[in-house]
Amino acid sequence: MNPPLPLTRRHALQSLACGFGSLAFAGMTAQRASAAANPLAPRLPHHEPRAKSVIFLFMQGGVSHVDSFDYKPILTERDGQLMAFNDARKIANSGKREESSQRVMKPLWKFNQHGQTGRWGSELFPEMARHTDDLTFIHSMHTEGIAHGPATLFLHCGATQFIRPSMGSWVSYGLGTANDNLPSFVSLSPSAGNGGPRNYGNAFLPPVFQGTGIGKAGTPILEATIRNLTNPKLTPAEQRRSFDFLQELNAEQLKKSPGDAELEAVLASYELAWRMQNNAPDTLDLTKETDATKKLYGIGEGKTDNFGRQCLMARRLVESGVRYIQVTYGDNTANPAWDQHSNMPKHKDHAMAVDKPIAGLLQDLKARGLLEDTIVWWGGEFGRTPYAEKNGTGRDHNAGGFTVWLAGGGFKPGVSYGATDEWGHLAVENKVHMHDLHATILHQLGLDHEKLTHRFDGRDYRLTDVHGHVVKEVLA
Amino acid sequence: MTSLNSIAKRVLVCAAVGLSLSASAQTQPDGIEFFEKKIRPLLAEHCYECHSAGKKTKGDLALDSREGWMKGGDSGPALVPGELDASRLITAVRYKDKEFRMPPKRKLSDSQIADFEAWVKMGAPDPRTGGATFVKKEINIADGRKHWAYQLPQKQTLPTVKDAAWPRTDLDRFLLAKLEAKNLHPSADAAPVTLVRRLYFDLLGLPPTPEQIDAFVRDFSLSHSPNLTPAPAKAGEQAGKRESENGAVVRLVDSLLASPHFGERWGRHWLDVVRYAESLTLRGFVMKEAWRYRDYVITSFNADKPYDRFLREQVAGDLLPHSSIPQRQQQLVATTFLTLGNTNLEEQEKKQLEMDVVDEQLDTLGKAFLGQTIGCARCHDHKFDPIPTRDYYALAGIFKSSKTLEHSNVSKWLEFPLPMPPGEDKQFAAHDQAVAKLTASIKAAKESANTAVAKKATLPSGALAAKVLAGIVVDDEQAKRVGSWTGSSSTKTFIGEGYLHDANEGKGEKSLTFQPELLRAGKYEIRLAYSPGAGRAKNTPVTIFNADGETTVRVDQSVTPPIEGRFVSLGQFRFEQNGAGFVLVGTDGTKGVVTADAVQFVPVEKLAEVATATTDAGKKDKASDPENVKKLEAELKKLEASGPKRPMFMSVKEENAGDVQIHVRGSVNNLGAKAPRGFLQVASYGPSPKIAEKESGRRELGDWLASRDNPLTARVFVNRTWTWLFGTGLVRSPDNFGTTGDIPTHPELLDHLAVRFMDSGWSVKKLVREMVLSRAYQQASVIPHSALRTPHSADPENKLFWRANRRKLAAESIRDTVLQVSGQLDLAHGGSLLKPGTSADYNYKHTDTRRSVYSPVLRNSLPELFEAFDFADPSLVVGQRSDSTVAPQALFMMNHPWVMEQSQSAAQKLLAEQLTDDRTRVARAYRLVLGRVPTDGEVTLALKFLPAESATTEPAKRTEAWGRFYQALFASVDFRYLN
Repeated sequence: MNPPLPLTRRHALQSLACGFGSLAFAGMTAQRASAAANPLAPRLPHHEPRAKSVIFLFMQGGVSHVDSFDYKPILTERDGQLMAFNDARKIANSGKREESSQRVMKPLWKFNQHGQTGRWGSELFPEMARHTDDLTFIHSMHTEGIAHGPATLFLHCGATQFIRPSMGSWVSYGLGTANDNLPSFVSLSPSAGNGGPRNYGNAFLPPVFQGTGIGKAGTPILEATIRNLTNPKLTPAEQRRSFDFLQELNAEQLKKSPGDAELEAVLASYELAWRMQNNAPDTLDLTKETDATKKLYGIGEGKTDNFGRQCLMARRLVESGVRYIQVTYGDNTANPAWDQHSNMPKHKDHAMAVDKPIAGLLQDLKARGLLEDTIVWWGGEFGRTPYAEKNGTGRDHNAGGFTVWLAGGGFKPGVSYGATDEWGHLAVENKVHMHDLHATILHQLGLDHEKLTHRFDGRDYRLTDVHGHVVKEVLA
Repeated sequence: MTSLNSIAKRVLVCAAVGLSLSASAQTQPDGIEFFEKKIRPLLAEHCYECHSAGKKTKGDLALDSREGWMKGGDSGPALVPGELDASRLITAVRYKDKEFRMPPKRKLSDSQIADFEAWVKMGAPDPRTGGATFVKKEINIADGRKHWAYQLPQKQTLPTVKDAAWPRTDLDRFLLAKLEAKNLHPSADAAPVTLVRRLYFDLLGLPPTPEQIDAFVRDFSLSHSPNLTPAPAKAGEQAGKRESENGAVVRLVDSLLASPHFGERWGRHWLDVVRYAESLTLRGFVMKEAWRYRDYVITSFNADKPYDRFLREQVAGDLLPHSSIPQRQQQLVATTFLTLGNTNLEEQEKKQLEMDVVDEQLDTLGKAFLGQTIGCARCHDHKFDPIPTRDYYALAGIFKSSKTLEHSNVSKWLEFPLPMPPGEDKQFAAHDQAVAKLTASIKAAKESANTAVAKKATLPSGALAAKVLAGIVVDDEQAKRVGSWTGSSSTKTFIGEGYLHDANEGKGEKSLTFQPELLRAGKYEIRLAYSPGAGRAKNTPVTIFNADGETTVRVDQSVTPPIEGRFVSLGQFRFEQNGAGFVLVGTDGTKGVVTADAVQFVPVEKLAEVATATTDAGKKDKASDPENVKKLEAELKKLEASGPKRPMFMSVKEENAGDVQIHVRGSVNNLGAKAPRGFLQVASYGPSPKIAEKESGRRELGDWLASRDNPLTARVFVNRTWTWLFGTGLVRSPDNFGTTGDIPTHPELLDHLAVRFMDSGWSVKKLVREMVLSRAYQQASVIPHSALRTPHSADPENKLFWRANRRKLAAESIRDTVLQVSGQLDLAHGGSLLKPGTSADYNYKHTDTRRSVYSPVLRNSLPELFEAFDFADPSLVVGQRSDSTVAPQALFMMNHPWVMEQSQSAAQKLLAEQLTDDRTRVARAYRLVLGRVPTDGEVTLALKFLPAESATTEPAKRTEAWGRFYQALFASVDFRYLN
């Protein structure tokens, strides 16, 4: 059972924690650099893993499943008709479980069958559709939280209200890091809204498991880097000289307490910072990629350039051994990108921005043999209603039923699992709760969601609280 | 206990009735056959996994015996033989109730459900008698009390020690006794330069200046110089020397305790514990008035407010008597404590939200004051500690009896005007009166204007082009239509080319969406223009989607719009750039024709302009003139903006006092028995304070918490203080004194300190003084290499305090020290530092140079240094901060512009001092940053790094080099630790 660090020793071990990587500091004995001393050292999984990394393509705001992957012909037949639905927002606000009259709204994009499997997908995402046979669709997702804030936190941390560690932190906590020069958990262009830093925060897990934000939503990723990775003033030679001086001073200070592992860890953290400063920019530098690769991701084309860069960066991070990468397509408003409460056609703008980059990412991962042990997870915090919100031109949030897809990492390709009702409103068949999805992804990484626990103030906490079942049916 | 028993009895009676009912079914052999063929396999396959006495009994329900389902679980008997609708098992398998479905993963097939129904209808024959009956484990409070923390602290007799010369205080004797029992020895006393630095940081959070260090070292060594003490015998000399040295320490400690910076350091400790922050994570809402609580805490520590009173004020300050207005103010602000939770105001189920808020309050109060994880008992009896769910809801009732939030789509915390002394109150009262008067005249003017409008006397009728109007106007032409709308211009007053109406048909199917393009972030007044008339709808739903959610306003379109006969104001709303901002006109539930002409978004800052412009153009200036309304409104706005702002504070309000029902499994939809308001039974000795029916009980809760009969309160705080001064606690889990927490390493000492704390009138300063004047606190932390072997192996974690713990410098002290060395530190006290006009905390730029305790604690934008250096998570109770050494800290010190700027300022300051040479300058810098002189090796390294003194270096280059030298000192290992 995790934690492998006994509680009583936690404090002592935390103070030895040396940041993102190994304790490879000259002069340190092998014993001190051992796994026990470094909470980020690679750790044995609970069972044989099927995947090493996760790329979560977060479609912030909630993509409409009935306009993209959940085909419901009846919506076109009954378009414009008033029907009775259990509207979650109305029920929550009134406290009464009553049906209300809503106007059915047809999907705005035409559905076609794709690939060998003949799965339905709309013209909203023509590029992704080409990869249909590689994808595992879960059509029966449901989650908690009617508004963005709660649902976004639930998506990332498994709780709507309470302060809980995010999934990437749990994964780092469970498995340690797989690289020496980079963080183990990265969030590309995270949103400041709807939970902001909490969505990649460690909460009560030790600080080494905190996610590292690179860039922020609303700012081009081209300008993004890891905080304080570069010096704003000094030349590389000056930096080297300052760094050498600092480490000499430190070594001098250490003379008073030779062999003090805790103090040596501080020196090691500087060595690591120096290595990061010299290596991480390379990982984030996309100029090293061929034009063909960039083109594949839509880099250089106006609409797709930014998200294309995010996706390509995600691939480079996977290659460098980063375990968990959130890639956010969103913004910092209370009604983020995909949140079309009005003007449903605007979905197409967002689709245009992400479709090609995502298809490019899948193709690239596959070509490089990375897809096998990388889980690509596409989805939002919830879906959207099959009816028009207040009879207007958009759709409201729908936490009761929506679609996500997964690719690679031991998920069964070409599978479509679960279903919503005939309207695409509520998940009814083989329902998969967000807790279940979390449990399933952890499972593929070699982690048992019931054993991945951390004791905090007298209680063992889990990402899945007291819930969650591994959805074996979608696994290869 | 009595009521618990009676509940148990009632359950028994129910079970007996159930038994007799099902007796007849028992005799039907067909029924048994049906059970064996159909029902038993169903139960075994789909239910036993979670509901059998042999395995799990989720919800305390066992279905593997007849007794099991008859007794039922948390929610009552599982089924009533013969009655389908009264049987919860049937409800569950039917999957109709979204909250209550079994089996949880997949619905049974229709035929399986039909089998269950048939079985219940025939009386639920079930031969499985005498099976393992599951008996719900009930918490035994008396047994629970055996845990050390629930027993009252006892006065202790002092232990005898072998080395009678070492202890300076009683505290020392307790520690030494334990050490001697393990054959361990205390370490040497810390050197005076080390001790003075430790005391300054521990008591003030600031470094001693070189002058302050010198003063103390002089006092320390001079006080026992041979001149002052005539040569005594050898042993006596030692003792005399120690006594006089101690005199110097006492003088220093007393002066530090009297410093106003003491409260800034110790107040911050408390703020860690009560998850103090000035904003919420979601939407980054800024809590403008939270800082008053921070100042209250600092003031309380400085005034040495007795801790029992301090607690009472935070829980129930609004309900306590007072003898002066300033006292009243303090007590009111204290209750801000209850409102600081990082609440998710967006939660749409408000019943749930209210219970979540109560839970947060309880969780914080439990951990902070009592070291109890009360929150664990929300859904079920506490799994480890003797806290039944009933106790949870007894306490929950107290908090539920006060209102914490005002609900709307996004709920809001409560702010109240702070009462002012009569003298100061005058200006506010006068202002309030003026506002009230103006508001009244606006109301009157509006009424008369409406009458005038109705008479069409002054109506500026006719068509009006949209572009002449202020702000952004979305005309009906641009609106997105759903359903069929008819354009018209029959009524002659409209914007643009005409208006739209729904022809009074297809109600609920139609809508118009008015979506402005390029709306800039800000607050707008939203106005709807419509075409009025007798046959128009009286309740047209108009929904405004804005940054804070959606608001639906019903508009009576049978009356003439009040603004210029064209517009009605729908209110003021906040919009974000690129957010979902639009207005939707619906026809849902309307009778009569719905019309819409245009929607106008007027930026609030332009409102006054709009009013003045139209007034100037107006023909009349009578009270009945609708233009007059605008003029008055503009006046009101001006008055409100210019008038004195009445200070506000965050708090709760007593409302709907009463007990709450137990929420079975924590669900707001599954209510059990009422839990009379009360306190933790296991920690209650003597009669509990009685709660009056009409009151919340917070006052009594305060009494119970702050009582000598509460076994936890004093111990928890004494242990916190110990943790803050010694680095680890006597109980090493300062927020958890339950059975899963650590047991005290020195239970007698903990009791001794707790009893003394209470005897001293709960004086925090006396407690701190007692600890820092102990010889144990004043030990050296650095382990001499030779001494390493023995003590280290016997007690490597220093649980017995055979040396002082080397500790990390807190984030605030790192920042304050850098600022002090650079000469930028502003030592002013109190007040809000939040930049005016901050509405959300995203990307907030921290630029002040005040002490760190005053830096706004913004949950989405903590100062970067705080984030890097283990500042307390402001959403959690933090009794002990994390202690991390990670690369981002190194990157911060190496590359952050702030560190580089401060280092440059420090260099400028140093070079401006009259110092003889670089060697002296290096020494001075070391003393300023590290509080010690450099070693020869360090001086050599520094001089090698810096440009040679003889060289002719440009002053700017020279400063730069010294700046980089300072930066290395700030980044060095020794600066990060407190020895």
